[in-house]
Amino acid sequence: MAQTNLEKQLNILDYALSSLWRRRMKSLSVLLVFASVIFLLASFQMVTQALSDKAKQVLAYTPEITLQKMSAGRQEAIPLAYKDKLAGIFGIRRVVPRIWGYYFDEVLLANYTVMGMNVDEMPESARLDTALASGRMPTPDEQGRVVIGHSVKKALDLEGRNTFSFFRPNLSLKAFTVSGEFSQGTDILTNDLIIMNLADARDLYAIPAGMVTDLCVYVANPKEIDTIARKISEALPGVRVLTRPQIQKTYQVVFGWRSGFGSICLLTALAAFVILAWDKASGLSPEERREIAILKVLGWETSDILAVRFWESVIVSGLACVVGMTAAYIHVVYFAASLFRPVLMGWSVLRPDLHLLPRMAAGDILLILAFTVIPYLAATVIPAWRSATVPADSALGG
Amino acid sequence: MLIELSGVSKIYNQGRANEVRALTDIDLGVEQGSMVCLKGPSGSGKSTLLAIIGCIFPPTSGKAAIADRQLARLPDRFLTLHRRETIGFIFQRFNVLPELTVLDNITLPLLPLGVPPKERKLRAQELLKRFGISHRAQFPAGQISGGELQRVAIARALINNQPIILADEPTAHLDTTLSREFMEIMQQLKAAGKTIIIASHDPLVFEHPAIDRTVTVKDGRIHVP
Repeated sequence: MAQTNLEKQLNILDYALSSLWRRRMKSLSVLLVFASVIFLLASFQMVTQALSDKAKQVLAYTPEITLQKMSAGRQEAIPLAYKDKLAGIFGIRRVVPRIWGYYFDEVLLANYTVMGMNVDEMPESARLDTALASGRMPTPDEQGRVVIGHSVKKALDLEGRNTFSFFRPNLSLKAFTVSGEFSQGTDILTNDLIIMNLADARDLYAIPAGMVTDLCVYVANPKEIDTIARKISEALPGVRVLTRPQIQKTYQVVFGWRSGFGSICLLTALAAFVILAWDKASGLSPEERREIAILKVLGWETSDILAVRFWESVIVSGLACVVGMTAAYIHVVYFAASLFRPVLMGWSVLRPDLHLLPRMAAGDILLILAFTVIPYLAATVIPAWRSATVPADSALGG
Repeated sequence: MLIELSGVSKIYNQGRANEVRALTDIDLGVEQGSMVCLKGPSGSGKSTLLAIIGCIFPPTSGKAAIADRQLARLPDRFLTLHRRETIGFIFQRFNVLPELTVLDNITLPLLPLGVPPKERKLRAQELLKRFGISHRAQFPAGQISGGELQRVAIARALINNQPIILADEPTAHLDTTLSREFMEIMQQLKAAGKTIIIASHDPLVFEHPAIDRTVTVKDGRIHVP
């Protein structure tokens, strides 16, 4: 009995396959549209996950606590003397002054991120040396030495030379020599970055001696970040205290918001497809009605015809999933998610040339299946009930 | 009696505005191994009578027993199961699926029975050989001649070795030669012990010597001259 039932299901599956083949143009067009929808959703999911992972990776280089002075709700330079006020807080390993700013290149219409710091003062784990593809970080006593990101090199067209100049606020030129280059693996953080020593950054932005833009605080025990941050806030009331977990959360929210926005657009496309599938499945052509009536007269039950429709939908949606997800993987890995980069990677002028490694957890795959295959099955099998109840006698004459 | 109908009536859409009385008080008995022709004009109720005998739907009232099984009030599923085992159908225009191959058309009734592909093929090849159309096995049914199509339809009706063959206007779209050929095959099947009922208003059918009895259906009633 079980053997016969298995044979029956295999026979019905066989018929469903031949039925799809007979209507191959229609099946192929449904498959293509469905695979495209899955491709878009899976790409979006993969690229969001990959970017979040990448962001987490590069945030490991950021200080555990960043201090900025606020005045009238805006950031201004912070005195180096504040460093001394932190000396009494237990758990602080190191305080490193930093000048963080942007430089807008009016000729190339590019915006670079400039970071001035004395790398030697930073703890080993945050020194960014590991992010270097070539060269070395500038030392505090080397004047005009910089390490640059991948896109900066491209934008400044530094293929045949290693020197360039930026304007100071008084429009005098300051020359730099490239002493190192960041690896492309850290593009999301270093793509538009120029690192120089503190003295050069102060000179470029004309920041007075004894002032910096932030103080980077490194702690001995990462579990105490919040406690130390609270103590700093109490010790320095006019200072904004940013912790690494807060920055991480902001990144997650930004990616989450962008991905959510994109997902809503894609789900709308999916809904349109499901409505179309429902409409297609619920309307029967005269040939389809005739076929069902013939099968019923020949001894097929309503449930057998429903099983054919079910297998047809499973085959189409299964194939669409495989094709859509494979295409999404190729799109993310080999084409750096070129379709979604403008949405997900912000509005920076220099967009990183990212090499993303997609991570698809079982939960993500299930989520995509839940949003695509299940609605499609429902949209095709439920109306098929109506078609499967075509009376058998309609195959007979009058 | 293999088929026994007593006081059978069929009303479509009963109790609704579009109610149609298709059959009224039909009494009919068909013996095993006989060939009966249901004669009558279009819309007379022949196809409805054939559908009741063919277990496609039960009568609205009256008793219908086919191969010792009472059909009245039998649920749709059991009617289907009974039909699979007992009835082979030959339709008007033969109703094959044109995109399927001849072999696949013939084996269609075996799919829901769970018959494995090898056995299906074997049974179909036997019938194709018997009707001289083995060379057409892998042809799409839509690409073969009318005479071959009629043999495919007959082979399909015999694939599960059902004891009763029902044919609904089988010669309506055939020329005289093919109609005669069809009746010759029916005569052979009758000789092999099959019980055959043909609904037709073609004289080539109801005047054929192999027909044991002709029953005239008119306005949903059996007409006694």
